[in-house]
Amino acid sequence: MNSRRATTATIAGAAIFAMALTGCSASGGGSDDGKITLSVTTFGTMGVDANYEKYMEENPNIVIEATNLEGGGAARDDAYAKIAAGTGLSDVVAIEEGWLSTIQEVSGSFVDLRDYGIEDVKSDWLDWKYEQGTDADGRVIGAGLDIGPQGICYRGDLFETAGLPSERSEVAEYFGGEDASWDRFFEVGNEYVEASGKAFYHSPRFFWNSFVNQQAEGYYKADGETLNIEGNSALKNQLAMIVDAETAGLGAGLPGWDVGPQAKAGDFATYMCPSWMLGIVQGYYDEGTTDSGWDFADVLPGGAANWGGAFLGVAESSEHKEEAAALALWLAAPEQQAAAFEVAGPFPSTVEGQALVADSTNAFFNNAPVGEIFSARSEGVIAQVKGPEDSNIQDNVFGPVFDRIGQGEITDGDTAWDEAMELLNQMVG
Amino acid sequence: MRPWPPVATLTPLTRIGRSMSSTSTTSTTPTQRDTAKSRSALTFRQKLSNFDYKVSPFLYIAPFFILFALIGIFPIVYTLNVSLYDWHLLKGQGDFVGLANYQSVLSDPFFWNAFGNTVSIFLLSALPQLVFATVIAALLDQTLRGKTFWRMSILLPYIVAPVAVAVIFAQIFNQYTGPVAGLLDLFGLDPIRWAFDVLPSHIAIASMVNWRWTGYNALILLAAMQAIPRDVYESAALDGANKIRRFWSITIPMIRPTLIFVVITATIGGLQIFTEPKLFDGRTNGGGSRQFQTIVLYLYELAFPRRDFGRAAATAWILFIIIILAGLINYAITRAIRTNDVKPVKVSKQRPYVTTTYNGGRK
Repeated sequence: MNSRRATTATIAGAAIFAMALTGCSASGGGSDDGKITLSVTTFGTMGVDANYEKYMEENPNIVIEATNLEGGGAARDDAYAKIAAGTGLSDVVAIEEGWLSTIQEVSGSFVDLRDYGIEDVKSDWLDWKYEQGTDADGRVIGAGLDIGPQGICYRGDLFETAGLPSERSEVAEYFGGEDASWDRFFEVGNEYVEASGKAFYHSPRFFWNSFVNQQAEGYYKADGETLNIEGNSALKNQLAMIVDAETAGLGAGLPGWDVGPQAKAGDFATYMCPSWMLGIVQGYYDEGTTDSGWDFADVLPGGAANWGGAFLGVAESSEHKEEAAALALWLAAPEQQAAAFEVAGPFPSTVEGQALVADSTNAFFNNAPVGEIFSARSEGVIAQVKGPEDSNIQDNVFGPVFDRIGQGEITDGDTAWDEAMELLNQMVG
Repeated sequence: MRPWPPVATLTPLTRIGRSMSSTSTTSTTPTQRDTAKSRSALTFRQKLSNFDYKVSPFLYIAPFFILFALIGIFPIVYTLNVSLYDWHLLKGQGDFVGLANYQSVLSDPFFWNAFGNTVSIFLLSALPQLVFATVIAALLDQTLRGKTFWRMSILLPYIVAPVAVAVIFAQIFNQYTGPVAGLLDLFGLDPIRWAFDVLPSHIAIASMVNWRWTGYNALILLAAMQAIPRDVYESAALDGANKIRRFWSITIPMIRPTLIFVVITATIGGLQIFTEPKLFDGRTNGGGSRQFQTIVLYLYELAFPRRDFGRAAATAWILFIIIILAGLINYAITRAIRTNDVKPVKVSKQRPYVTTTYNGGRK
């Protein structure tokens, strides 16, 4: 064997290996040809894509790399993992109300938007929304995007067939108008089921979430630390009411999400609709559909409440904080909030944004005046304090119980409550 | 040429390996003597060549070991470190708690639920998979027209990314709108709650694993079958053994080492199953009521939604130990099978005893 060749080969091999090792670090978000790339991570249907285009047009030196995750849960796990790793967060990150308080425990991962001028436009937002984005030390880590005032989506055609009122103001009135209660809601449900032989809603989960969000204190006390579940008779009674409704056949026994085929088939007739849910219901149908039968009523059993809503934060790890903060504040500005609302339905959290969409109608929902309805639905909303395990309790404590109720495995309220308490102790006890 | 060591001439075929090694041991002595004699006279080039001879093999294998240390050993040790602390995913390291994380995981009914699910899904996937892979391999081992086509076809599922497989199967097994539900309905059968009931969900997930891995394993087994000398089959055929007899008495014993390899890799993979159950219902971590939450999904839930990194790390180590134990069990079973092979020896050992009693009876 030729030893010199072998030696040369060895050295060459080692060199290639060294290059391969170092090569990994060569990549990384940078600015080639003077352009700055900003990454944005959102989730669900936020309706922001068109805004990106507009921003890039107005700011030719910015390139936006957008990622949209399927649901809030995926976005939450993604953000947690990247905060834990200390790297990988997008420059701009959408944060859901449900896990915002967890993020605020490590609020140092996000920049204080006060350093980038959010205080100059503070008065744009509804007070409580701005307050939610502020952590205990007064750092503002989230610029409010949308809020979740709720109304009821219903199938006008199916209501009509079942002999119920189908015109939206009559429907609102039928549910009780301003005095609408959950008792009445389930009563109407029973009427519908009896008349049509079909289920009234797809899953009780959303109505439960809605109810929890209506309480002055939800899963947590107002301090955001003490749990408010065990011995909470309001929650327990509501759960029992839902179990009774399920036993009476009001629920279709479907999972919470991805029920497009069943929606089209008319397997259920109502849907709990916080503003951002409009885009999700609409997403079950082809684009441009106007004859789906869905309509939207200005009513919420139990009174006005907020469910969900997102914030935009800027990662402390961002290489372009200045530009990222500018983009986040621009996306959260009234005009862009209004534009997103027109596309996907998330209702603006700014006063001016709400004014901009006041006359807005939605063709999919039988030309319902959604701007006007949400504006009415957000009157008197008080933001509920969320605790660090809020989204966890929703998904892992009550979620499984509703699955079991929906599948007919649990048929009385006490059992349902006991099972939930057992899960609660497992999870956070 | 040195004379063949006498011991080798006496040993049967199986001893060859050992005798060869003894040959090489004796052969090193003269070489060492040569080097000692001429050490002073070595030129630089010779030294370099010597260095090359001794060191370069290590350099060649170094990349693997360096990478393994970086992405294999380091994480394992670091995980052990994390598992001994109260470690919050976001807030980071807390107090040292010793084995408390292990204790709390092992006393958590959710862990044991995940353990049971993992074993159940593993058995439902590994067993049918092995049987089918062996049968398919045996069929492909026959003289077929369009051999390559068939062989490539069975590998096709393996090319599809697990995420895609999971998404497709989740639709197939959709309780309400999936084609399986449609078929059941067509035959007037009750719908099966694939994502809600425990056993159906395990079957659905196992079918994803089977779909993806059966062909892959079949190809590995086929390679082993192809290595069996054809004359063994011929002699067996001459002795009147039919196809099935040849399969059981020649093919299976001769592919056993490969079978063991396949079993061990299937075990390691099966115990770490994550993608399929995660995506079977993407919004939960293994079903609303943990009907198909596997150990890795349990770990994931602890680490991310629940942000308890210490307990997640402890779970990772427990899983590591479970896998080692499963490997040892596999090894023990293998050894047991091997000793069964040497039945003739056992019989010959027992014979004197049998003979004595027999003789005793006569007397």
